Amino acid sequence: MSSFWKYTFRRLALIPVGLLIVITAAFGLVSIVPGDPALAITGGLASEEKLSQIRGELGLNEPLPTRYWNYVSGLFQGDMGTSFFTQLPIRDELFQRIPDTAELVVMALAFAIVFGLAVGGIGAYFRGKAADRGSRYFTSALQSIPDFFIGILLIYFFFYLLGWTPAPVGRIGLLETRPPQVTGALLTDSVIAGQWDTFRSGLRHSIMPVLALGIFYSAYFAKTSRAVLSAAFASRQVEFARACGLPTRTIWLYALREARTPIITYGAVLFAVLLGGSAIVEIVFSWGGSGQWAVERILSLDIPAIQGFVLVAGTITLITYVVLDILVAKLDPRISYGKKS
Amino acid sequence: MTIPDAVDSVSANQSSALKSGWMWVRRHSGIAIGLFVLASILFAAFLAPLPHDPFEAMPTEVLLPPSSEHWLGTDRSGFDVFSRVIAAGRLDLPLALAGTFLSLVIGVTIGLLASSKGRGSESIMRGLDVFQAFPLLVLAIVIVTLTGNNLPTVVLAIVLIETPRFVRLTRSQALTIRESRFIEAAYAMGATHRRVLWRHLLPNVSGAILAQASLAAANAIVVIAALSFLGIGTSPTDASWGSMIRGGSQVIATGDWWVAFGAGLAVFITVLAFNAIADGIQKTLEEK
Repeated sequence: MSSFWKYTFRRLALIPVGLLIVITAAFGLVSIVPGDPALAITGGLASEEKLSQIRGELGLNEPLPTRYWNYVSGLFQGDMGTSFFTQLPIRDELFQRIPDTAELVVMALAFAIVFGLAVGGIGAYFRGKAADRGSRYFTSALQSIPDFFIGILLIYFFFYLLGWTPAPVGRIGLLETRPPQVTGALLTDSVIAGQWDTFRSGLRHSIMPVLALGIFYSAYFAKTSRAVLSAAFASRQVEFARACGLPTRTIWLYALREARTPIITYGAVLFAVLLGGSAIVEIVFSWGGSGQWAVERILSLDIPAIQGFVLVAGTITLITYVVLDILVAKLDPRISYGKKS
Repeated sequence: MTIPDAVDSVSANQSSALKSGWMWVRRHSGIAIGLFVLASILFAAFLAPLPHDPFEAMPTEVLLPPSSEHWLGTDRSGFDVFSRVIAAGRLDLPLALAGTFLSLVIGVTIGLLASSKGRGSESIMRGLDVFQAFPLLVLAIVIVTLTGNNLPTVVLAIVLIETPRFVRLTRSQALTIRESRFIEAAYAMGATHRRVLWRHLLPNVSGAILAQASLAAANAIVVIAALSFLGIGTSPTDASWGSMIRGGSQVIATGDWWVAFGAGLAVFITVLAFNAIADGIQKTLEEK
């Protein structure tokens, strides 16, 4: 068996261990609430009956090992508990909202990568010149504005002053209806259903949130790509390409090839980060994805919902990381497969 | 030595101290400007006289645009925005600094202790990887709301977010330095493990740690702003940059830009100052 496959199997074997940790962490969340969780949830206004009912739902009346066993076995049957708030199954609520967040994150990441590469690439290409300095000042300025404030600035300029974008509320206009649900993601579904008006409207509603997240996170790509690309522009193969008189475009392609591993790494890490990190921007624009849902539920102390979100976000993070490790190992032959020192 | 001579040499000493101080400022302009900006913000927040009481709402003066009376206008409750932006420095900056300091102390200690090579410390790092990849902002929100929703829990959340970065940095730096000759020499002279850690390793990683601390403080400012934007940790009556941006976000679509603007600018300037300090320290480290 080649060492690559061995490495892959070892990484995949990490998933069950990681899952166990994530499940335990989600389970343990109830116990970090000081005092009586039931009392904290109801805010001290509920009757004793209601309190004991909530304690029962949280399983607080049973011994810890039993509670843990019940929680884990429930999860394996696909039961993530019921919301205190809406009395609906957490699984349905959460999985209904993830596709919309995923769509936002993917669009924002695509923008961040392209824009960040452009800014960082210009810095690297004109290293030490005015354009480089400009690109660096621009990058550090971008990094210093919180994404939700960028969102507010965008609303002021694009919506209020210029009127280019629709009102920053929701994914489509208030009077429009969502296309029939296939994937759960609005833009994808409207393409599938062939509803091009809805698609256009969804796209126009996406401009500001995507820019708010994309601009902020592009700073990270700009920083990394500047470092990687300036090393690439100084490398042997690019020098050789220049000496051969190849056009600038080809030289850029050679340099970009060197940058793909860190870009993929950053992209994957940010994908995992943004699944929850997009929450505030989602709230600013009433996006209605899983991030907004999670924060709203956290604020109302809907513990099963919080547990569900931590669980799903943790699992996605875990899988993203393992896939990333394998992908990077496949792409970059220089990576040694864990046989260090 | 006659008396005039002595006087001369004292003043010469003084002027050379001034001169070398000025030289330092010129060589480290980023650090100097950053520190100056932060000091000014703290000074203004705690000591400067404000044009209006930042905690007294004027019900008759709601959502006024900027004027000579209200430099940054008033918000929906009739608070003077400018006074409140300045006063918010009392809350946001000390919280960020406290969180950063605590995570530095904890993170550096763990990092130094985990800087031995071995399976144990490798798996600690791997665990930190996964932990850091988790949506930390959401984790911060969960922790602050579940553990009591007050200022100490905000510091706790910052510590939780920032500590892993200090652990990682300290450990990786210490691992490199560990291989160098002077450490070997210290051991050869019979120094204990603990003495090598604190006396020889720590001083050599302190520059990098300071740079990281500055970045951490910048991030803490953003995290605090995000939390108070959601109304978590701080109470709505407190003046904080995040809660003011939230107030502004509710009226921005009708064009009342001034409510959010000052607080957003304050966050921007503070974060920029911390980043400039970090950049400056990094540059001096590279020059060495």
